[in-house]
Amino acid sequence: MSKLIKEDSDIQYKSTITRRESLKWLGILSATAVLPSLVGCEGNDSTTAISNAVGDSIKGHWPDLTLSPITVKGYGKDPSMIIPPKSPWPKTLTAEQLTLVAVLADILVPRDGDVPSATQVNVPDVVDEWVSAPYGRQQSDRLTILSALVWINDEAKLRFSKAFTALSANEQLKIIDDIAYQKDDLAEEFTKISRAFSRFRKLVLAAFYCSPEGTKDLGYLGNVPIAGDYPGPTDEAMLHLNQVLNDLGLA
Amino acid sequence: MKNFDYEVVIVGSGAGGAMAAYTLAKAGHKVLMLEAGRDYDPKTETPMFKTNAQAPLMGAGNVDKDFGFYDATVDGGWQVPNEPYTTGDNSDFMWWRARMLGGRTNHWGRYSLRFSEHDFKGKTRDGLGADWPFEYEELAPWYDKTETLVGICGTNTGLDDMPDSAEGVLQPPPKPRVPELLVAAAAKKLGIATAPMHRAVLTRPKDDRQACFYATPCGHGCSIGAAFQTTTSLLPMAKATGNLKIITDAMVRSVDVDENGQANALTYVDKNTGKDIKLAAKVIILAASACESARLLLNSKNAHHPNGLANSSGQVGRNLMDSTGTGVGAHIPALEGRPIYNEDGHTANHLFVPWWGHKQHAKGELDFPRGYHFEIGSGFRAPGSGVSGNLQGYGKELKDQAKQYYGAGVYLALRGEMLPNEHCYMEIDDKVTDKWGIPVAKFHWKWADHELKQVEHGLKTARKILETMGATFNYPLPSADKAILKGGQIIHEVGSTRMGESPKDSVTNQYGQTWDCKNVFVMDAGVFASNPHKNCTLTIMTLAMRNASWLASQLSKGEL
Repeated sequence: MSKLIKEDSDIQYKSTITRRESLKWLGILSATAVLPSLVGCEGNDSTTAISNAVGDSIKGHWPDLTLSPITVKGYGKDPSMIIPPKSPWPKTLTAEQLTLVAVLADILVPRDGDVPSATQVNVPDVVDEWVSAPYGRQQSDRLTILSALVWINDEAKLRFSKAFTALSANEQLKIIDDIAYQKDDLAEEFTKISRAFSRFRKLVLAAFYCSPEGTKDLGYLGNVPIAGDYPGPTDEAMLHLNQVLNDLGLA
Repeated sequence: MKNFDYEVVIVGSGAGGAMAAYTLAKAGHKVLMLEAGRDYDPKTETPMFKTNAQAPLMGAGNVDKDFGFYDATVDGGWQVPNEPYTTGDNSDFMWWRARMLGGRTNHWGRYSLRFSEHDFKGKTRDGLGADWPFEYEELAPWYDKTETLVGICGTNTGLDDMPDSAEGVLQPPPKPRVPELLVAAAAKKLGIATAPMHRAVLTRPKDDRQACFYATPCGHGCSIGAAFQTTTSLLPMAKATGNLKIITDAMVRSVDVDENGQANALTYVDKNTGKDIKLAAKVIILAASACESARLLLNSKNAHHPNGLANSSGQVGRNLMDSTGTGVGAHIPALEGRPIYNEDGHTANHLFVPWWGHKQHAKGELDFPRGYHFEIGSGFRAPGSGVSGNLQGYGKELKDQAKQYYGAGVYLALRGEMLPNEHCYMEIDDKVTDKWGIPVAKFHWKWADHELKQVEHGLKTARKILETMGATFNYPLPSADKAILKGGQIIHEVGSTRMGESPKDSVTNQYGQTWDCKNVFVMDAGVFASNPHKNCTLTIMTLAMRNASWLASQLSKGEL
C-alpha cells in the first residue's frame, strides 16, 4: 500500500515501486529545495506567470505550459488481456509532482474509518500512468492536470510564500475551497482552475473506485459468478422501485 | 491444401462464414476456410473476471483498443494497422474490422431480433428502397433452426415488430433490473411497450457450452461459450465433422477466373510469408463482411468482368447502409441512493423498447418512413475510468455525491433503419493500396432526410420517456444532424452486394448466388436488400444456414 509519509515537516509520496526505484526517488527528493516551484515542467518557468499577477489586481494567473508530446508507443492492438502489461509506458511525473498529486488526492478522498484514502490505494500511480500515456485523450488531460498542479503551487506561493505541500492543512483548504466548486458566481480568477481541478477530481475518483477497496466502498456487487438463474432485484430494491413508481404516478 | 479434397472455399470465419461452413460440413461437404486474421481461442484468451484496475488506463478505450482494453477485438477496431480505407469529400464513414478467427462475433452485442413481415417488404408498403426476394414466412423456419442452434434467450411477445419463435425455441430471459422496469413503466404511460431483449446468450447449457453465470462483460468474449461467438460453437462443431479445415492469416487478394470467365480459384496473401498463394476453388462463398466482400469482388477485375466480378449490374458497393444511431441520457433523481444489488445480469439489455409505430405509419402519422428501437443503458456498473455526475467539493461530501449518483443514470440509445440512397456507397480507391498491395475501399456517405427526421423523432421520444421518469432537461436537444452518429459507427453495414429478383438491379439471387457467376456466393450482410433496425447478425446467420443448405442440395445434385 502506498502512503504519504510525514517526517520532520517534509512530506513525500511513496508508491509501491521497487525498493531500488524508491531509493532513487528519495534521493531526488532530498536534493530538492523546499521553496522553489515544486512543479518544473520541461524548462517552462512558471514564475513568469506569477509575476503578471502579483499585487492586488489579481485577475488570475495561468501557467501556459509547453509540453513536449509523449511519443512512446502504446500497447498496440493485440496486448495480452490475461496478463495485462504492468508498465505499458514510462511514467513521467517527477517526485515533486507525484507528491503534490498525492496530497491533493487525499484531500479529495481522505481516509474514512476503515476505508483507505486515495493515496493508500495507489491513486497517484494511476494518475501518473494516465498523464504519461501516449494517447490523445490522456495527453489532453496531461496538459490540464500539469497546468493545475503548477497553478496550485503558484497560488500557494502567492498567498503563503510556500509550496502547496508545505502548507498547513488549513492553508491548503483555503485554496481548495476556492477552486473545488464550479458555481455560477465563481470569481473570474478561479473559473479556469476549477474546470481543470474538476477533471483531476474525476480522474482521482475513478482511480479510487477502481481499486478493490474503492469498489467495495462504492458498493458494486457484481463480477461474481451466479449458479442458476439471475436472481434480479432484491426485495428491498423492488420496494424502493414501487415507492418510486407511486411517487411518479407510474404505478 | 494437400490430402483435403475440398468442394467449397469460404472467405471469412464470422457469423456468415462459420454458419455456412457448419451447414455444409454437417451435410457432408468438405470446406476450406480462409481467415485474414490470426487464430484465436476464447477458452484461453478471454479476460474473464478481470477488473478495470488490472488494465492500463482503468480499461479506457483509445486508438489501440477503441472499445476499451478488454474488448475482444484483435488487431482491429476503427483502424487496422497498414490496411487503411479512405472516404470521399464530405463523407464521414467509420469501418470496424477484426483480424481474428471468428471475426466480429467475438465481441458483438449479441442482440438477436428477427426481422418481421414489415421488414422484408418495405418497398411494397412505402415505395422506398428495395424489397427482399422472399416473404417472412420463407425465413421463419430458418430463424427457428438458427435460434435453436445459436441459443437465444428472450420471450415471444406478440408485438407486431417481434415475430414469435416456434414453441420451445427461445431460452428463458433473465429478470429485468430496476432502471429497466422504471423505463418500462414510463414508456407504458406513453403508450409504448417494452419487451425482454432477445440475445444470443445461453441461459441453459447447450452442446459444449455452459449457461451464462451473469458476470464479466460479453464484449470481452466468453470463455464458457454462453455468449455466442463462432469460435466456441460453429467452428469447433464444424471441425469435429472432419469436413472443415481453416487457414488463418490468409488475406484474399482476388477471385480468379479461367479463360471463359468462370471463377475457378482464389489468390490469397499468406501474411506470415507475404507470398501469394493461388488456390483452386470449385465453389466460393464470400463472407468477409459486407464491405470486404464487395471490395474483393471489385478488386477481382479481368477481361470478362471489367467492372469487377459479379458486377454486371453495377450494384456491387452500392446500397450501402448502416443503422442510424443516437441517444439521450439523463440523471434520474428518483434512482439516487437506491438499494444496491448485483445488476450485472447477462451484461446487456434485459428489457428494451421495440419499435411501436407500425400503426402510426399505416395511418400516415409519421414524417419518416422506417422504424427504430431503444436500447437501455443503466445499472450499477463495474467502476471504470469514468465517474458520472456533476461532482463538486472534496472529502466525504464528494464521496457521498458519487455514491448518490451511482446507478442513477439512464441512457436510451436509438438504433434505426436507414434507406439506401445514391450518396451512400463504397468503391475502390485507385490511389491507395494496403500493406499487401491490395487496393483499398473508399466510402461515400450522406444521411438523407428520412434518417434525420427519424432521429429527431427518436430524440424527442427518448426525452419524453426520461422526463416521465422524473428527469429534467435544462438544455435543448441537439439537432438531428448533430446528434446522428457517423455512417458505419453502429457497425451494421449491409447491402453492398444486395440480393433481388433480377440481375439488373441486384448482385445475387435469393440464395446469395451471384447472378453472373453461379459458383460464387455471398453469405454476409452484403446481400441484405434493406437494413431493418434490429441488428443484422441473427439474420446473417439465418440466411447463411438457409442458403448454404440450398447450396448443399445443389452440390449433391451435381448442379455446380
